Amino acid sequence: MTNLAIQIKGLTKIYPPDNRAVDTLDLEIKAGEIMALLGPNGAGKSTTIRAASTLCGFDEGKVVVAGFDVDTHSLEVRQAIGVVAQQTGIDYFLTGRENMVLQGHLYRMKRSDINSRIEELARYFELDSSIDNLVSTYSGGMRRKLDIACALIHRPEILFLDEPTLGLDIKNRKILWKHIDKLNKEFGLTILLTTHYLEEADNLSHQVAIINNGQVQVVDTPDALKNSIHGDSITVSFDDVGKNEQAFFHYAQQQSYIKGSTWEDNKLHLYVENGGANVAALMAIATENQAQITNLSLSRPTLDDVFLKYTGTSILETKEEEGDEWWKQWAGKGGNTGKWKSQWGAGDSAEDGEEQSWKNSDWLKESEDGKNIGTQKREEAQWQQDSWSGQQQGANKNDGSNTTDEQGSQQWDPSQQGNWQNNEWNKNKDGGEK
Amino acid sequence: MLADTWHLFNKYMRITMRMPMWTLFTLIQPLIWLLIFGQLFKDFVQLGDEDYMAFMVPGILVMTVLFGSSWSGVSLLREITAGTVDKMLVSPVSRIAIVLSRVLHSSAQVIAQAFIMLLVAWILGATLNMSPLYLLMAMVIVLLLGIGFAALSNGFAIALQREEPLVMIGNLMTLPLIFFSSALVPEQFMPDWIQLISAVNPISYAVDAIRAVLSTTPDMAIFGKGLVVLTIFAGASLAWAVTAFNALRD
Repeated sequence: MTNLAIQIKGLTKIYPPDNRAVDTLDLEIKAGEIMALLGPNGAGKSTTIRAASTLCGFDEGKVVVAGFDVDTHSLEVRQAIGVVAQQTGIDYFLTGRENMVLQGHLYRMKRSDINSRIEELARYFELDSSIDNLVSTYSGGMRRKLDIACALIHRPEILFLDEPTLGLDIKNRKILWKHIDKLNKEFGLTILLTTHYLEEADNLSHQVAIINNGQVQVVDTPDALKNSIHGDSITVSFDDVGKNEQAFFHYAQQQSYIKGSTWEDNKLHLYVENGGANVAALMAIATENQAQITNLSLSRPTLDDVFLKYTGTSILETKEEEGDEWWKQWAGKGGNTGKWKSQWGAGDSAEDGEEQSWKNSDWLKESEDGKNIGTQKREEAQWQQDSWSGQQQGANKNDGSNTTDEQGSQQWDPSQQGNWQNNEWNKNKDGGEK
Repeated sequence: MLADTWHLFNKYMRITMRMPMWTLFTLIQPLIWLLIFGQLFKDFVQLGDEDYMAFMVPGILVMTVLFGSSWSGVSLLREITAGTVDKMLVSPVSRIAIVLSRVLHSSAQVIAQAFIMLLVAWILGATLNMSPLYLLMAMVIVLLLGIGFAALSNGFAIALQREEPLVMIGNLMTLPLIFFSSALVPEQFMPDWIQLISAVNPISYAVDAIRAVLSTTPDMAIFGKGLVVLTIFAGASLAWAVTAFNALRD
């Protein structure tokens, strides 16, 4: 195998009549690397994975996987890859072991090899005690782990993961991250994953490809992408953008500490040198121009800022939408009503036992030490601007204390700023980098 | 391909064995026909010396096959929805084996159902030729008809891609095909135009062939004709389903 595990050149997939799901997409993934395709729903992530994994044909381009052209050597490609799709695809009325045995047979493995591989993978994914239970008794997280184990049974060189943690709660998501990370580090597995979770791309991948409208906008390491945004990110929200708000923007961007700006509907994203120190100056400009600010948040640049820079929209705005219309992708035609769509719900929460094992896991210990951080990396602080806008926001509900939401953003009032700067979040900020 | 088919067939059988009630549920409608219609019409239909129950049982067997195999496509759609088909397609498994295993599983299921129906008919007193050889011959016809209709159901599932129209077509097809055959009424009682349809209806050939071997006076010529027609029907349906499945992937 060459140093490149996956090479995609000019990939174009058109769904009738003229929907270019993927449009002249180029991508290269080195062997032993984890690459995340980060993009909103409908960006073309799943189609790219389906084309590279031989699941769907394409109209133009060339895709080489593990040294084989997917068009002419699909059987060799299938032997070299493991695929975990958005739908688990495992049979609920079979046991975990039976699912894995069948998978081994489909890859023409010998029974003795299948058996030893099952023991190995069940131990690795901590499924030993439940491997002989029916899958219908598994939690969502266990099913996902079994799904990955099935995809690995034939020892593939490359693993495709299409939204691997979609529908899982944050605890199960972290457990899966741990396993995926270990698979790459310990076994040198090349992994191409799609996600619309920023933390997932940030924590897991060596390279992130931001994909939108069927094209790769930029590829780089998560750190390099974030460093490409100079300074801190300040997001200013308005109820309405009128003359006063335009005036504020006009004067603000003339300041030497403003390094860039993007409008997103009624939100203004400013990239500011030494953001913490210059917030007050910005607020003074707002007051002078009588701009009605409803919310202001200060954060270090995240992949969302990078996403915003390259696509003009925030990925967070789109993430709650329904997933790609995969049944159209499967069929390559038709299927334009929503029956199947509604059948595809979110996953389940973890079982008690699994939750306990997560609490005791190395992953969590690493997080606490600041070596390998999940959501903590996203240091975001948000000021509730009650007094400035004259509107009562939800900050009072917090009793002035800092709270953390699932995205890891921090809500606090200005009086708590000192605490925020000295707290765990700040300590972890560098340790969390890959 | 044979090994792939066997492994997948095994999977479907295992799942069926874990849900035996589903196999029994599809027997309810044919049982109602056997119990109610058999009793209702036995005094009205004059068949000479022949018992109407014995005449009706082959028709009911065929009905059982139709009701049972028309679900095969629905379960294919569910497997597509669940991602199970993708999981198979991303492996080197033979594409023909995916369709073949489903069709064979459905046929095995309808053979089991046909045996249960025969047992009930025998308990109800139908005078049938229950010698093992003739029973086996009847089951060969049941198998071929099962393969044919399960393949059609899978083919329609791929063509329609949705569950509702598939179920509707299954229901629409089943009863007219039975009425336009010699399943419930001897051919000589049918109007001419129905006789014409009956002549090209594979169900008529299946019913006649089963009736020919389950009769106390077996007729090998009728059975042979049925065997040939149904082999062609099963082969053509299977070829269409496999082609539809392969075309979908490209």
